[in-house]
Amino acid sequence: MSRVAWVLLAVVVCIGLVAPFGDWERAMTVIPTEAGLGPSPGHPLGTDHLGRDVLARLQLATSAFAGPGLLACAVALVLAVPTAAVSAYRGGVLGSATRFAFTSLAAIPRFVLVLLVLSIYGDSPTTLALAVGASYVPLLGEAVYERIERLRGEEYVLASQAHGLAGGRILWVHLVWFACGRLIGRHLLALFGFYLVLETTLSYIGGFGVQEPHPSWGNMLVFEWGRRSLVDPGLLAPGIALWATLALTDWASESLGEVEHG
Amino acid sequence: MGDVLTLSGLEVRAGAEVLVHSVDLLLAAGEICALVGASGSGKSLTARAMLGLVEIDPGVTRGTLEITVGDRSYQPPMSGDFRARKRAFEGIRGAVVGYLPQDAGRALDPLRTVGRQVGHTARLAGRDDGPLPWLDKAGLQPSVAGRYPHELSGGMAQRVVIAQALARGSRFLLADEPTTGLDPAVRRPLLRELRHLADEGVGILWITHDLRATRGLADRVLVMSEGRVVESTTPDVLDSGEVSSPAARKLVDATRRIAGGRVR
Repeated sequence: MSRVAWVLLAVVVCIGLVAPFGDWERAMTVIPTEAGLGPSPGHPLGTDHLGRDVLARLQLATSAFAGPGLLACAVALVLAVPTAAVSAYRGGVLGSATRFAFTSLAAIPRFVLVLLVLSIYGDSPTTLALAVGASYVPLLGEAVYERIERLRGEEYVLASQAHGLAGGRILWVHLVWFACGRLIGRHLLALFGFYLVLETTLSYIGGFGVQEPHPSWGNMLVFEWGRRSLVDPGLLAPGIALWATLALTDWASESLGEVEHG
Repeated sequence: MGDVLTLSGLEVRAGAEVLVHSVDLLLAAGEICALVGASGSGKSLTARAMLGLVEIDPGVTRGTLEITVGDRSYQPPMSGDFRARKRAFEGIRGAVVGYLPQDAGRALDPLRTVGRQVGHTARLAGRDDGPLPWLDKAGLQPSVAGRYPHELSGGMAQRVVIAQALARGSRFLLADEPTTGLDPAVRRPLLRELRHLADEGVGILWITHDLRATRGLADRVLVMSEGRVVESTTPDVLDSGEVSSPAARKLVDATRRIAGGRVR
């Protein structure tokens, strides 16, 4: 069943990745004569108060988090995993110094760190993605470090060395890929979810994140708030999409945990 | 001259404390040399030092290891520069000197099937015939290849580790109490397998604390106590009780009390 979560999540991410290359006239063009329409065959989720198609804007809004969310994951993966893996496997002064760095950085609240970076370097989606990815490095690094440090003394690592396996293969294949693969996967899904919530929150609050007229699920919510009834599909749709995507990341993440512990 | 492994003057330290004192050991192809002693006497540490796998600080501070296989000779540095040692030992581990661990269940990667692990070990030795011939040689059914380590009994796990050693084709094997925790019905066939390996020309250093098991299997016995080799003898001499060192005497007496008279 968890495959359903992975497939649906992949569909959402794919829509977000290809969206910037599509023709989104229906999502962007203001048509005052069609403002505030209810659901109809031409507009399945109706239109917003500027006459733009809500479904089209909902789809286009996935580009606000899909690409940058993946970029944040890539940043965390590239910075945290090799650093943590090598230092935990080697141990000694390098290991102690890396762990101290992870612990010190983890003490700074992530949200504060991200806002600080945005204040200094501007609030483009790329800057936000880099900041979120970098802020997650201590958390992911600490998790990978702790596991490899625990496993490197295991009998099977010693036996692999005794069989003549090179240290690099033991580290990257046996310890990182096989023993930490699912752990890393769970963390990256959590990071993707965190990016989605953060981007939605920032664009909901305004000032940071994606701003009108470009759609984000956050600014779509705030843009229609107070102008529609609480059960109107045009108002509910971004909120439901946000909840459903977070539920999918959680479901997919749980499937990794079940396999590992089962 | 046949294949031979010679360890001379091995000293291992943990801080200022000397754990292994000037141990000399010679292992020839086709023989089983039992290294016996009480727990903590330095047996396993000596074996790990011979594989360059001592992870305490400063570790091996003195000693030489020389291995002759056919017309090739290996002399990995046992102390000094880390990178030089690492390179030298990576060249001999598995290919020349293999290892049979004490807890076979924990010596297998828990996340990979038996077949993949044995097959990979065979590929390391340049063999592309997969895991099945080696599992068969170790007395295991082909169906075991698809199992994960947690699905194996202790005896089966030990046979898988033997299959890996067979696939790797090591000329010398360091067997660190490979039958500990196994019941006699499983232990005996495994010990016969070790004898069979020795008969095929593999030199085996068999670490054990069970003096009785050495009779009929080991060619020589070295007794270790407090990091020193205190007696070099044969199982027959041990059986007669004619030992010179107090540590060996204590071991023989303790074994006799358990066995009721003889070391068997």
